[in-house]
Amino acid sequence: MLIELANVYKIYNEEMENEVRALNGVSLKIDRGEFVGIIGASGSGKSTLMNILGCLDLPTYGEYYLNGRDVSELSDRKLSHVRSREVGFIFQGFNLVEALSALENVELPLVYQGVSSWRRREMAGDALERVGLLERARHKPSEMSGGQQQRVAIARAISTNPPIIMADEPTGALDTKTGKVVLEILSSIHRDGATVLLITHNNDIAAQTERLVRISDGVIIEDRDNRGAAP
Amino acid sequence: MSISRSMKMAVKSILSNKARTVLTMLGIIIGIAAVMTIVSVVQGTNRRSMEMYESQGTNKIDVYAYQWNGKDISQKLYDYCLSLNELVAGVTPNMGYWGAGGSVKYMAADAANNPDYGAPQVALGSDQYSLCNNFTIAEGRDLSYLDVKMYNQVIVLGAAVKDYLFQYQNPIGQRVTLGANTFEVIGVYKAKDAGFSQGWSLDNIAVVPYTLNRMLNNSTMIESFVVKAKSKAATTEAITRLTGFLSGEIDPNMGYFNVYSQNEWMDENASATKMYSYVGGGVAGISLLVGGIGIMNIMLVTVKERTREIGIRRAIGGSRRTILVQFLLEAAVVCGVGGLFGLALGLVGTLVAGKLMLEMVLMPGVAMSAAAFAFSVALGLVFGIYPAVKAAWLQPVEALRSE
Ligand SMILES: Nc1ncnc2c1ncn2[C@@H]1O[C@H](COP(=O)(O)OP(=O)(O)O)[C@@H](O)[C@H]1O
Ligand SMILES: [Mg+2]
Repeated sequence: MLIELANVYKIYNEEMENEVRALNGVSLKIDRGEFVGIIGASGSGKSTLMNILGCLDLPTYGEYYLNGRDVSELSDRKLSHVRSREVGFIFQGFNLVEALSALENVELPLVYQGVSSWRRREMAGDALERVGLLERARHKPSEMSGGQQQRVAIARAISTNPPIIMADEPTGALDTKTGKVVLEILSSIHRDGATVLLITHNNDIAAQTERLVRISDGVIIEDRDNRGAAP
Repeated sequence: MSISRSMKMAVKSILSNKARTVLTMLGIIIGIAAVMTIVSVVQGTNRRSMEMYESQGTNKIDVYAYQWNGKDISQKLYDYCLSLNELVAGVTPNMGYWGAGGSVKYMAADAANNPDYGAPQVALGSDQYSLCNNFTIAEGRDLSYLDVKMYNQVIVLGAAVKDYLFQYQNPIGQRVTLGANTFEVIGVYKAKDAGFSQGWSLDNIAVVPYTLNRMLNNSTMIESFVVKAKSKAATTEAITRLTGFLSGEIDPNMGYFNVYSQNEWMDENASATKMYSYVGGGVAGISLLVGGIGIMNIMLVTVKERTREIGIRRAIGGSRRTILVQFLLEAAVVCGVGGLFGLALGLVGTLVAGKLMLEMVLMPGVAMSAAAFAFSVALGLVFGIYPAVKAAWLQPVEALRSE
């Protein structure tokens, strides 16, 4: 099993007046190679879930096993290593470093992996090519459209060829047409063998995935096979 | 991640905000430049004093004794000085002849008109005058024992006097006049090249036998001697003995004496130099401290502004350590580059101050420059720690959420 959450809670301001249970007892198993859509209303806990799955955050209670390893035991260095090697993040707001060019942004995860500079250039170039943006390599994020920026962000996420891609409302800031392009790229990443987690509050987008997990108020209320559901 | 990679990253992000970086560096630049200039000038001044001291001669004791009751102990004092022969290498009377107002004439030329150094000092000394005052003969011969004994009207010229009066002519055997008296030039001292300050030179001197005192000054009284001791220890001992001797000879109500060595003055000078260095260094240190606080301030602002970037870097695999190193290096690089600019400005400042204040080409020492550079880098590391720790301990999720 690639991912295994067992009764996970994420509680902010616990036992205070403003306590928020962003995750309120979530158990979830995801296998290698799945294409999972996580759907829920705004504030339902989707991002919190993704941050925990991606080792950006730790659960308040409960256990998380990634590749069979208990994540709560890991030091900051080990967690960083997991993020560096296992996960590629894609965010709604792109989250590119403004001061760096597209190519440099895509190279950044490789820098943290300690890849040599010529090899880095090569791998980052490949990733940009996969999202069809090689000719924009020298552009700064501010010189690109939202759709292009998100494609750079995807290139950054896949530049290290991580086994898991986590996308938190990747089309949320894009119009329908560019959103479709982004979804198409994610599908192709999945076809190439990666496990893809796609978070959205949009039913149409969720319909593109193979498995659908519905979350509401920090609890999973539905988890079903979605293959064949797409039009 | 390697240091060189972190370094490249630091340089990159510094270059992305040049104007602010330069402003941030200003404190360091000025601080380093001030340290360099102050220390260089103090050291230059000290070096010059040392050179002057050494060219005048080390272990030299000035003895001055005067009584206003007319009692003349000149010969007794001279004999006493000579009797200290286990401590003393030479003794000479050291009086001035002011009668002719420093006029030493050769044909139409008068050394008193020398535009560079003014009127020369005419000294009355013995055949040990040159030994006591650290002169050596360049041309001709020195005063001899016989010259002194025989009241010979001979004169030895300092290089400045010779150059002014004779230029490229051979002065030996020529006759010069001091007021109404004629002297034969028998020798020229080698130049000390101690043009220490404008209008004055150790080479602007002429020496005649002290036995001509009666003829020139109409007196047999010798108030002033120079005693050349054999060593630093001998200097101290000779001063003690001379002071003892003169205390026995001179009634403090009836006269005055002074036994003085520049050794003490040099020690004082060295400690004063040290103090000036400390004071100057302290002032500059404070400005560096202010510069360091400026760095910390700017780095804190940078961390705040780049919180989201820090979140991104953490999300894509950056550990706390790499973030810490990145911001620490940024601070160190900013300060290091500021330090280099400071060194450049300090070099200019040292050259200008050396020219204006000391009329010499002063250069900051290599060791001091290296130390100043290392210090500015260290300053960046020290004042960069707090902002870097703050950056490293940001929660990735919170950092990503910030805007
Ligand atoms: N740092 C925090 N402090 C307090 N409450 C938080 C914090 N982060 C998230 N929440 C709350 O947790 C809930 C889930 O948030 P989130 O996972 O971002 O939802 P979603 O991504 O589904 O919109 C929301 O009610 C949100 O306000
Ligand atoms: Mg969200």
